[in-house]
Amino acid sequence: MTMKLAEALKIIQSVPLDAPPLPVALLCGFTPLHLETFLRAQLCNLFPGRAPNVKTGLYGDLVGNLQRVTDVSAAVVVIEWSDLDPRLGLRRLGGWEPSQLHDILGEVNRSCDRLQNATTAAARNIPLVVSFPTLPLPPISFTPLARASEFTLDLRSRVAVVSAELSRVPSVKIVDPQRLDALSSSRHLDVNSDLSSGFPYTLAHASSLAEALSELILNRPLKKGLITDLDDTLWRGILGEVGVKGTSWDLDNHSQIHALYQQLLHSLATAGTLIAVASKNDQSLVEEAFASRELILLATDIFPFEVHWGAKSESVARILDAWNISAADVVCVDDSPMDLAEIKAAHPATECLLFPRENPQAAYELMEKLRDLFGKDKISEEDSLRAASLRANAELQHDKAKVASDAAGDFIRHIDGKLTLSAQKQPLDSRSLELVNKTNQFNLNGRRFQEVEWQNWLNTPDTVLVAASYRDKYGPLGKIAVIAGDLLPSASVNGDSSGKRRLRIRTWVMSCRAFSRLIEYDCVRWLFAKLDVEELEFDFLPTARNTPMQNFLQDVLRAPAEPHCRLSRTQFMQNCPAANHSVEEVA
Amino acid sequence: MAEIETRLTNCFATAFPELKAQEIPSVSAGSLASWDSLAGITLISLIEEEFGISISPDDVPDLISFELIADYLRRTQSEGAK
Repeated sequence: MTMKLAEALKIIQSVPLDAPPLPVALLCGFTPLHLETFLRAQLCNLFPGRAPNVKTGLYGDLVGNLQRVTDVSAAVVVIEWSDLDPRLGLRRLGGWEPSQLHDILGEVNRSCDRLQNATTAAARNIPLVVSFPTLPLPPISFTPLARASEFTLDLRSRVAVVSAELSRVPSVKIVDPQRLDALSSSRHLDVNSDLSSGFPYTLAHASSLAEALSELILNRPLKKGLITDLDDTLWRGILGEVGVKGTSWDLDNHSQIHALYQQLLHSLATAGTLIAVASKNDQSLVEEAFASRELILLATDIFPFEVHWGAKSESVARILDAWNISAADVVCVDDSPMDLAEIKAAHPATECLLFPRENPQAAYELMEKLRDLFGKDKISEEDSLRAASLRANAELQHDKAKVASDAAGDFIRHIDGKLTLSAQKQPLDSRSLELVNKTNQFNLNGRRFQEVEWQNWLNTPDTVLVAASYRDKYGPLGKIAVIAGDLLPSASVNGDSSGKRRLRIRTWVMSCRAFSRLIEYDCVRWLFAKLDVEELEFDFLPTARNTPMQNFLQDVLRAPAEPHCRLSRTQFMQNCPAANHSVEEVA
Repeated sequence: MAEIETRLTNCFATAFPELKAQEIPSVSAGSLASWDSLAGITLISLIEEEFGISISPDDVPDLISFELIADYLRRTQSEGAK
C-alpha cells in the first residue's frame, strides 16, 4: 500500500535516538530525496528497534557509488535509463536525432558492462538489491508511441540480459518488475520534480519502489508448512456426496482453479514446503481418490494425512507434532470459514486462509499470496529431502517406541547413523546461514544474522564454523546442524595460562528433523577431539522455544543452563552417552 | 481558511519536528537554520500531498515563510473555487 510522505517522516521521527543503527546504502545516479525517506521508513517498519541509516552517494555516478560502498549491512542499487546514457534522461541535452540512436545503444552496452562488473564486485562483500529502470523512456525514437521501435526493444533486451546475469550472482536480488507494477499503478515519472531537483519519481512511485526494495533486504522468516482441506479446496465437490468420480479439477467441469491450486501445492512440495491434509472425510474414500484419480498433487507430496470426522484443530495439533514445527510456521487453507475459525481459536499463531471456491479470481490471488509466503531465494538439497526425512522420522519414532526406554541408546546405535562434519568457512554456505536464521527449538540463543554480518564474522581468523550433515538407514537428512564460535587463546582460559584453549560457541542450531538421534552429543565429542579444546563456553540465552537446547545443556551440565555456562571435556565425558554414529570429516 | 492554517501547521511540524507549535506561524527560511534547500523541497512535497495540488516551480522560490505559503494556499484555493 502506498505510503504518504508525511507518514514516512513521522515513522522515521518516532525511532528512539538510542536504537542500534542499521546502515543501508541507497546507490543511484539521481537525487535520492524522497526515495531515501520512503526507504528509511520501510526499513523502520521491517526492523523495529533499529535505527535505519540510509547512506547515499554522488549524483550522476552510480558506478562510482557502487565501487565506494562499504560498512553497510546491505545496499540497494536503483538503476534508471539516464545511468546507462545521460541522453535517456531529461536533465542532459545530447540530442535525440535518429542518427544518434546507434551511438546511444553502444553507450548503453558499455554502461551495462561497467554496472554489471561493479555490481558483481560489490556483491562479494555486501548483499545487494537491484532495481532496473522503472521510468518510461523519453520520446527519443522516431516511431509513433504505440509502436515499439527496434531501438527501444534493443535497449530493453540489453537490460533484460544484464538483470538475468546479475540474478545468478550470489548475494544479488533483483526486484521483479511484475511485483513493482502490482504495487505501483500510478504514474512513475514526475517531470517537474526531475527538472527542478533531479528527483525523477512521483511520490507514489517512490513509495512503491521503496517497499519493493525493502522487502528484499529483509531475510523474512518463511512459512514452513501448508495444511490443506480437500473438498471444495483441493478438488471441486464433496467426496462423501458425489463420490470419487464426481470430484473434478479441470476446465470441462469449470473447476480448473482447483487444478491450479494442486499444481501450486505440488510445486511447493518439490521446493521443500511441507504439505499435509486436514479433512473431515471418510478415510477410505480419500485413499481411493488418491489411488484411482490422477491428482496433480501426489500422495507422496503429502505427510501426514489427517482424515476423520473430528475437529480440524486436533488434526492441526497432530500435524504440527509430526512436523515438529510451531503453529506460527504454518498456513491452513480451507473453504470453510467455520473450520478456519476453529483452528485459529486453538492455534492462534497459525495463518488461516479461506479458499474462495466460488471466485476463481480471488482463488488465484490466494495462490499468489501462498507463493509469496513460501517464496525462497534458492532451493537446496535439503529442500528435496525434507518431506521424505519427516516421513522416515515418524518411522524411526515408531520403531524406537517399540523398544524399552533404557534400550533407546542401543536402538540409535543400530540405525547405521553417519555424521559428516565440515569445518570449511569458505565459500559462504547459504544453507548454514538459513539454518541459523530459521531454527527455533534446538537453538542456543535465538540469534539471527544478516548475511553481511555472518560473512564478516566468519572471515575472522579465530572463528570456527562446523556444519553437520547426517544420514541413517531411514534416509538422508542433509545438512542439519551448524555450530559457530570463537577459539579463544590459551591465556584467557579461566584467566590462567594452562595452555589449553576453549571454544566460545556463539550460535548452535540443529534441525528438529534430526532430534532423538543423540547427534548433538557426537557433535560435542568431535569438537573436543578435533579442535583440541578443554572447555566449551555457551552463549546461551533462554527463548520461548528453545526448550530442547535447554534440556540438552541441563543433561550434560547436570544443572540448569545459564548464560555463558561452560562445559569441560572431563565433565562431558562423564555425562555423555556412548558414541552413536560413525563420524566422517570432509574438507 | 483556519483549516488551511491547521493543515499547513501539520506539514511544517512534520518537515521540522524540532519546531514548537507556537513557533510555526512566524517561521521563515531566514529564521530557521534547518530550512535548507532539501528541507524546502520536502516541505513543498508535503504541502502538495496534503492539499492535493501541484505547485509550479516558478512559485516555489517565493514560498519562504509560513505566512507566504498560507497566503499562496488561500489564493489558489479561492481561485480554484471560482
